[in-house]
Amino acid sequence: MTSTSPVQPAENHVAPQADHGDPARSLISRIAEGRAWLFLAGLIVCFEIWSRLAFGATFVLNPFNLQSIAIFAVAPLLLATGQTFVIISGGIDLSLGFIMGLAAVVAAHATNMAGAAIPLPLAMLAGILASVIVAGVPGVINGLLISRLKVPPFIGTLGMFGVARGAAFLLAGGTTVPVQNSWFALLGNGKFYGVPYLVIITAVFVIIMHYLLSQTRFGQHNYAIGANVQAARRSGIDIRGHILRLYVLSAMCAGLGGALYAARFTAGAAQAGEPLLLDSVAAVVIGGASLFGGSGTIFGTVAGALVIAVIQYGLVFVNVEPFWQFIAVGVVIIISVLIDQAQRRFSGARQDE
Amino acid sequence: MKKMFAALAALALGATVLTAPAQAQDKKYTIALIPGLTTDGFYITMRKGAQAAADALGVNLVFQGASDFNPVTQVPVLDAVIAKKPDAILIAPTDKVQLVEPLRKANDAGIPVITVDTFIGTGVYQTGAGDADFPLAYIASDNVLGGEIAARALATAIGDKGKVYVSNVKPGVSTTDQREEGFKKEMANHPGITVLETQFNDDDANKAASQLQAVFARNPDLVGVFGANLFSALGAANGVKQAGQTGTVKVVAFDAPTSIVDNINTGLVDVAIAQHPAEIGYYGVVSAYAHLTGHSIPVTIGTGFTIMNKSNIADPNISKYLYSE
Repeated sequence: MTSTSPVQPAENHVAPQADHGDPARSLISRIAEGRAWLFLAGLIVCFEIWSRLAFGATFVLNPFNLQSIAIFAVAPLLLATGQTFVIISGGIDLSLGFIMGLAAVVAAHATNMAGAAIPLPLAMLAGILASVIVAGVPGVINGLLISRLKVPPFIGTLGMFGVARGAAFLLAGGTTVPVQNSWFALLGNGKFYGVPYLVIITAVFVIIMHYLLSQTRFGQHNYAIGANVQAARRSGIDIRGHILRLYVLSAMCAGLGGALYAARFTAGAAQAGEPLLLDSVAAVVIGGASLFGGSGTIFGTVAGALVIAVIQYGLVFVNVEPFWQFIAVGVVIIISVLIDQAQRRFSGARQDE
Repeated sequence: MKKMFAALAALALGATVLTAPAQAQDKKYTIALIPGLTTDGFYITMRKGAQAAADALGVNLVFQGASDFNPVTQVPVLDAVIAKKPDAILIAPTDKVQLVEPLRKANDAGIPVITVDTFIGTGVYQTGAGDADFPLAYIASDNVLGGEIAARALATAIGDKGKVYVSNVKPGVSTTDQREEGFKKEMANHPGITVLETQFNDDDANKAASQLQAVFARNPDLVGVFGANLFSALGAANGVKQAGQTGTVKVVAFDAPTSIVDNINTGLVDVAIAQHPAEIGYYGVVSAYAHLTGHSIPVTIGTGFTIMNKSNIADPNISKYLYSE
């Protein structure tokens, strides 16, 4: 995050999202762009009606439900935020799940160790910092593999998936590492006027990431590289440097996810992020990003992550057979991609390549 | 009663083997232990028990496995172990059906097979029935019984009335399915308790937590949850905490890694049911050795459970059953 220097509007470099420069946007492309939020609204309405008809209870007006869904979405969303940057650049990061696990284990160990020497609140900060920094290491290696050695992102990060997994299990001794730090536990489970701290932290972080993607040179370069890497290179963008920073950024997002996981469950587990990797890709795609690169937004991804969380929470709430959850998420992904394709066809943009 | 008899038989068998080392000098046996996965405190503890028996008997123990609980990754490990022709194989099969043929290869090669923790086929061996009866023995906790114990512990904790549910990993895993079965069977004897629909979380604590919150939102009179494995329980316990219901909604966890001590002491988890994996590993090696030295061995050995809660967790006689790291 800090590895990039946001460029101020003085440079006159700031433009709205690169891929959508056409001023006369048709209605369909507007709908397509906001489809994740429409999905979300539609889902909530469905569950509200279902819940009222079946149980006479409200779904969305129950603050407990909202809080639960928000907390549920935190971890997948943090992974998906990093993944959004990577996917917009035309890459993919498969190692995020285990980088998150590695970070959770590091956060647990570092917090415990620091807690023996310094006051608990400082130890908590040290633990979070350590986990985010350690998470950056596999990010650096991913970035170097992809930018310098020209390893395809799919393969490079798949390799790192294994390396981070092994490192996490080794550090954890094959088990879960308990955290003894009341401040850390409070961070993971406390609330501020009814809003969990985890949700506040994630919201602030996501807004910063939105700014980084939409308002800075780093973000614009990211769209440019994803849309057309040759054109980006000829226009003088430092592709290598950008790709390196990009994968470090996504790994650090996963690192924050791991630290917050450790805070919430007061334990670091190497397998913490394993089931979340595919959810993170799904959230990005439902949120409107194209796997071919060049388009997508952070707020779209937020909606995508919430769509998944609402489906999974809502189906339990209305007491549906659990296996329908998989089908429901799968259907939403397919519909989302179909809308994306339709939009490209209507707006005359490239469909695939 | 049957269990107790099996355990006694196993003890007696251990004793005879230990007092008859004469044959052991002829050959140093190699016994392979293939766990369900290598990155789990349960199997790491099982290995320690197996190693203790191997040291006592002068046996060479080989420990090899895959990093996840999956037949696709376990079978290549098994094949590699078979290729090295150990004298016996102890294995925790990752699938009741898919491991039958791969294990038959070992059996056909003359390597005796004993399954530990999980089983193939029906888990009833040496009957001549079916095509998966060739392993010599099945050594494990009785998971149905474990589920019943969990149900009784939860029933006591909630005063024998209210709504509860099972937080489970995924269907099709023999052990966790049996725990749920035992739990529901026992709860049928408690008319004041309603068991709601089981929630499957794919071993994702985040999902298990969210499911607890959803179930609680629908059923504000929820009073208890049984986590059929560690992540199910920790996830559900976190859901209880997020919902501000700690102490009101009781959590019973299956399995006891060292981190469970904190969870019990902080009140996150009310009761933990510990299996005895070291015992499983120990009797696995002892049984294999007994067979190799010409003794007969019981077809089933059931190992015990220990119930852990706030009042007994500090007792060394209880805490020795925590899974080591």
